[in-house]
Amino acid sequence: MNNQITRRQALTASAACLGLTRCSLFAERQPLPRVSIVHANYNQSIYDTVRRILVEHRVDVRGKRVVIKPNLVEFDPGTTINTHPMLVHAALEAFRALGAAEVRIAEGPGHRRGTLDLADAAGYFETIPKFEDLFTDLNLDDVSRVLLHAPFSNLSSVYFPNTALAADLLVSLPKMKTHHWVGATLSMKNFFGLVPGGVYGWPKNVLHWAGIDECIADIHTTFPRHFAIVDGIVGMEGNGPIQGHPKPVGVLVSGKDMVAVDATCCRVMKINPAAIHYLRLAATPDHMEEEFIRQIGEPIKNVQTSFDLIPLFQSIRL
Amino acid sequence: MDLSAIINLQNHDGGWSYRKGGGSWTEPTVLALLAQSVEKADARSVERGLAWLRSSQRQDGGWAPRPMVAQTTWVTALVALLPRNVIGQSHHASAVDWLMRQSGQETSFLYKLRNELLGYDSSAPQATMGWPFFPGAAAWVSPTAMSILALQKAGRYQAAASIQQRIDVGRQFLLDRICLDGGWNYGRSNVLGAEAPSYPETSGQALLALNQMKSPKLDKALAAAQQHAGSCQSSEGLSWLRLGLQAHGIVAPAPPRELRCRNVLDSALLIIALAALRGRNVFLE
Repeated sequence: MNNQITRRQALTASAACLGLTRCSLFAERQPLPRVSIVHANYNQSIYDTVRRILVEHRVDVRGKRVVIKPNLVEFDPGTTINTHPMLVHAALEAFRALGAAEVRIAEGPGHRRGTLDLADAAGYFETIPKFEDLFTDLNLDDVSRVLLHAPFSNLSSVYFPNTALAADLLVSLPKMKTHHWVGATLSMKNFFGLVPGGVYGWPKNVLHWAGIDECIADIHTTFPRHFAIVDGIVGMEGNGPIQGHPKPVGVLVSGKDMVAVDATCCRVMKINPAAIHYLRLAATPDHMEEEFIRQIGEPIKNVQTSFDLIPLFQSIRL
Repeated sequence: MDLSAIINLQNHDGGWSYRKGGGSWTEPTVLALLAQSVEKADARSVERGLAWLRSSQRQDGGWAPRPMVAQTTWVTALVALLPRNVIGQSHHASAVDWLMRQSGQETSFLYKLRNELLGYDSSAPQATMGWPFFPGAAAWVSPTAMSILALQKAGRYQAAASIQQRIDVGRQFLLDRICLDGGWNYGRSNVLGAEAPSYPETSGQALLALNQMKSPKLDKALAAAQQHAGSCQSSEGLSWLRLGLQAHGIVAPAPPRELRCRNVLDSALLIIALAALRGRNVFLE
């Protein structure tokens, strides 16, 4: 029997040791990521609900610039494509109440160019006073080039809007939806809207060719100061993110750790988070494991509901 | 925002931003100049805008979305829509050369070889060459429509078979992507087995690029475009529909309500579209 190990085996073993060391250090030094699941409705109570979520998560925004990034996709107020305007308004009011120096709403839709028209059709002008003064179209904002360090994708740099780059806290406010290319679109995928159409086009197809999952992970790394509130009051199942069907869940899923938030959302949707490639890329070993996420609010099992999946993604079912 | 308001938003460097106070970008600068070409222009403003464009042309002959972006993109087609004697013969010619070298990544040899090896179907929609927004990505309806219009304009200056061939292939790309409802989505008409809906802006742009073409497919497209115009929710979308329908001799129906121009782009497009309704379509000159 040959006891010699190959260089590949040695490297693999070293990597495993390093991984275990990191895992151990993480467990010892880092507090567990906290993710809350809270029942909510699209009515006046949502204002208090969101304020309580931010207090519960000890989100300190005093004197800081906050940018809220909803998910605006289509001109269709009758469906559940877009983040509900009441949730966006509730977040705006809550961050103001917590002492933020400035709170802006910003979005760069992926394929429709008239962002303000989209927002108008989605009810944002009607719901949010002085919406236009508060809003930045990230597709048309001035941009800066950001070098990607150790990227997952084959991109070495990406242009990003200055409004997003200048934020002290980026707040991802996505819809809880299935997605026909990556399985599920949640707080991390929502940051695709930070990539400017003015540079890359409508759609931002360069990201698709560079690897959608890999680019999601790269953008997540580029914007580390973030918070997520996922709009799962009514989500979307089936052929999301555009042509799916409404799926009422009745919850908001929130937290400072977007990987943990998205993994929790997946469990709520009865999707295996370990089968979502971008989550695997962005996660440290512990992040996605249920036992390493400090779950507060409603237990997952109380709100879990199976989201319909297109045939291509049947294998990701939890 | 009328033309004087657009002129007032011109930056000190001669270009225009999409929004008040922003840096200069190629797309709104070209559209502000085209808008001035159909109304009473401010000669000094036009010259400053052209000077900004000429100075921001890249070494490869094309234009970036804005000068600090280190990549030539689809906006080169927009610059090539400016008359050759206005932007300058050499600037125009090198822009056209750049456009002629571009196509969607899905028609590249390597991509087709990969699909062949993996046993994927590489027939129909991928077979025709369109233009991408950004080099290295797939072709889409909007940049293809703008590139066709730019090459048609170039063809009026120089009758080259290669240019006509690219126009014909590009038009086939558009015809291959007509949605079931008759109009155009931004990309393919069917994604993963689901029919894609058409949009006002892309339907208008495609019809504009298919000007003077006769095809049974276009009858349905024209009907779809008129339907879009009647329910359109964006000024930009309505302007493209007006331009596209006008290219086929049809006046777009009025929208259900007045649509607001949100930025320089919307305002300039509206001026250009209204001029087309009066009989002067700058995209087809």
